[in-house]
Amino acid sequence: MHMMDIVQNSIRAGASNVEITFIENKTDSSLTFSVKDNGTGMTEETVRKISDPFFTSRTTRKVGLGVPFLKMTCEQTGGSLTIQSELNKGTEITAVYRTDHPDCLPLGDLAGYLVLLLIANPKMDIKFTYRLGDEKFEISARELGENEIDDLNSAGMSAAVKEYINENLKELFLVRKTESYLC
Amino acid sequence: MEKIKTLADLKLKQEKFRSQVELRSKASRAEELVQIKVAMATCGIASGAKEVMEFFVEELDKRNIEAVVTQTGCMGYCFAEPTIEVTLFGKDPVVFGYVDVKKADEIIERYIKTGELVDGIIPKNYESIN
Repeated sequence: MHMMDIVQNSIRAGASNVEITFIENKTDSSLTFSVKDNGTGMTEETVRKISDPFFTSRTTRKVGLGVPFLKMTCEQTGGSLTIQSELNKGTEITAVYRTDHPDCLPLGDLAGYLVLLLIANPKMDIKFTYRLGDEKFEISARELGENEIDDLNSAGMSAAVKEYINENLKELFLVRKTESYLC
Repeated sequence: MEKIKTLADLKLKQEKFRSQVELRSKASRAEELVQIKVAMATCGIASGAKEVMEFFVEELDKRNIEAVVTQTGCMGYCFAEPTIEVTLFGKDPVVFGYVDVKKADEIIERYIKTGELVDGIIPKNYESIN
């Protein structure tokens, strides 16, 4: 859920490049989730306020819950949230989770959300990386385009891309030596 | 059935689909297609917008309806999530609230296919989604 929610902020900030990265560290039981974009960025004051659920830059409603929820879920595992942003340059938001904490939430349907992001934002270069130790799985809109895989908006292909992501993540997760709360 | 593990497998799959279905060039006349925007902010995602969006992507293709499904931010109707905005060619956008898979099916069969308005319309009160 967080991935789609935070990337939606990047989309709204007019980003053309979004890098979604998960780094699972086996030795210190941590998962670092980050979203980096080249959108409009934020002022220092906005960055300070962004974790406040009653702050939003929208005019259609009075609450902004995406970042506060992310902060809550990582901090409840003993992790932390950091935001680096520069006006007109972009934003990087990084959440660190302790994966050995019982309150660490499962990853959820990463492949499903990622496919929807790729379908719904055909003009955006979205890059997804999941790194586990020395192994990693990467997929990007650019790479798919270079391989002329561009029919994602059809039911068959969206399911095929989802299967491709799931199969590769499943294989990557075999690297884990112990069972993980992340699933 | 063989699993899809490499980009080459994906490409093969795409070629197989393309040979089965006549390729439709959506990009060149996107404005003439049915436009569906699914609100994908925190409220929408928490209410099941992902399932609704997946349903539209799969079902519109299966039912041979040429459409562009995109995501958008919160339209301000958090109480009625998941919400979607549907624009038929030549018509004003219509916002539907409380859209689950059942409602999505009704919207496809009645509004998108025949233009008949169905329950669940939210009067639009915004100029642009922000």
